[in-house]
Amino acid sequence: MIFWEIAKRNIRIHLLRSTLAMLGIVIGVVAIASMGILGNSLVLTVSDSLKTVGDSVIVTPHVGGTMGGFSGGAGGSSSLRITEQNFQQIKRASAPNVAIPILQTSDRMKLGVGSDDIVAAIYGLNPDDVPDLLKLKEGGYSRGNSGCLVGSTFATDHNVKVGSRIAIGTDGNKGTLRVTGIIEERGMAFDVSTDSAIVVTKDWFDETYNRDDYDKVVIKVKNLDDLPAVKTAIENQMNKRDKIVDVVDTRKTMETIFSAFGQITTFVSAIGGISMLVAGVSILNIMMMSVTERIKEIGIMRSIGAQRKEVMSMFLYEALILGVVGSLIGGAMSLLGGYAISSVLLKTTKYLFVYSSLIHIVYGMSFGIVISLICGIYPAWRAANLNPIDALRHE
Amino acid sequence: MDEHPVMVFKDVVKVYPLPSGDVTALDGINFKVGRGEFISIMGPSGSGKSTLLNLMGCLDTPTAGDIYISGTRTGDMSDKELTDLRRDRIGFIFQYFNLFPLLNIIENVTFPMMLKSQEAVDPEKGRAALRAVQLDDSLFTHTPTEVSGGQQQRVAVARALINDPDILLCDEPTGNLDSKTGAGIMELMSELNRKGTTIIMVTHDPNIAKYSHRTIRIADGRIVE
Repeated sequence: MIFWEIAKRNIRIHLLRSTLAMLGIVIGVVAIASMGILGNSLVLTVSDSLKTVGDSVIVTPHVGGTMGGFSGGAGGSSSLRITEQNFQQIKRASAPNVAIPILQTSDRMKLGVGSDDIVAAIYGLNPDDVPDLLKLKEGGYSRGNSGCLVGSTFATDHNVKVGSRIAIGTDGNKGTLRVTGIIEERGMAFDVSTDSAIVVTKDWFDETYNRDDYDKVVIKVKNLDDLPAVKTAIENQMNKRDKIVDVVDTRKTMETIFSAFGQITTFVSAIGGISMLVAGVSILNIMMMSVTERIKEIGIMRSIGAQRKEVMSMFLYEALILGVVGSLIGGAMSLLGGYAISSVLLKTTKYLFVYSSLIHIVYGMSFGIVISLICGIYPAWRAANLNPIDALRHE
Repeated sequence: MDEHPVMVFKDVVKVYPLPSGDVTALDGINFKVGRGEFISIMGPSGSGKSTLLNLMGCLDTPTAGDIYISGTRTGDMSDKELTDLRRDRIGFIFQYFNLFPLLNIIENVTFPMMLKSQEAVDPEKGRAALRAVQLDDSLFTHTPTEVSGGQQQRVAVARALINDPDILLCDEPTGNLDSKTGAGIMELMSELNRKGTTIIMVTHDPNIAKYSHRTIRIADGRIVE
């Protein structure tokens, strides 16, 4: 392994320029790995936020479609709604899965004597359906019409506790509700986003806002493999003649979102890859310098019996050492960088030490080594194919 | 014992094609080198000495004619075979020593052995070769730049002999040394020749050529005596 030894020593005596070449690889690995880790952490963060709603089919009135069996109305956030008859059809089509009708509006409310009015979203749900949809972190579910649940952000922002009272409407003209429970944080959701909202009983909602229809229907599918079938069954049932409902499979939506995040991660990693290509050019440049400086040495080696492939291996070893050392340093720095970025941007490092994040360090390091080797091939080939006589004469 | 001459040149011609026209560097070269001979090749600059040395060292191939090394015709050999031939049967000694600056003395000497065996070699053989050229043991782990020119040339001689070649090719071996050191190197060559090493030496210096048994004089690409 004398050629390995010569490669090592040549790097050592040209330590400064070797270090600069390695620095390029280090930057390239850090760029690729950090971007990959950040992208993956974002995907995992969103995935965690959405995982509670990945088991649903959501039915909403088709916007821009014919009115069909749907009612128009005032006082809510939408002018298209689902009637009780439509709901029963949806329920039959999605059986035996649970179909949950949801009412939605927003209104003014006051949280105590002397406090300012605020505006928040209000969801109306059948008390029997609430446990299927929402989990509580404190208190209990409302049974009577005078109780309500509040989202965790709502509770924190307005200092609301179990037992607090909320007056609905301007100056409380629509009645006062007592908080019976605080809902666990749900994050972004396709069905109901309750974190900054309150949840009341359907009866109270109907009575207060004079409603006998629904804004959407959420079907909780027990077996996730049945999601497409449930979606198809509802579409077949409801959109026979005209498209009157939009049916969304939340898992499919999540897959689309994750795919988009994946593409973003790939794109930003590719931008990191450009810095690696620049590093490769630097390696190529340094290897060409190394060959030029050592033409006579190559001529001596060839004249005393070194084969072309042995001369080639000597320069490839040099490129390999630069690539491996640069990639190892880059890998270690990526871990530190990933830790810092996760801590600062995502406020958590729990997504860093997982396979799908750490693999980006392996990708970055592998790319660094491969680029170094590729950029070492031409100088090594050139060295190996020098004419020994010309090389010996070189000064 | 190999009965073939160590080297045979038969009607060797070397022509360099140039844009301005072909240049004939060697024209009809014929000679034989017997085992144990010490030959010097002399001639003025541009006479074809270097071309002849390159052909003898299998670094170049003739345009016409045949060259035999220990009975093996070199004309049809591949680059790999010629490289193996140089490694195993020919030892080179250069005017400027041409040691590897990244390797120490012992590594320089054992380098051709490593090329041959493709693995680590016993450094004791390198030490023995260096002692044979009268180099002090204390210098073995030094790098070439840390020793004198004469000592570097002794190392180069040891390196050339390490694979027991059939022939030692020397290109102005004392050309970069003072006369006293040069004389020491020539004494060493004579001693090696007395022990059976075949030596061909290119030189300008008639005083150095006196150490050889036979002189081939070359002019305008032809042997003149």
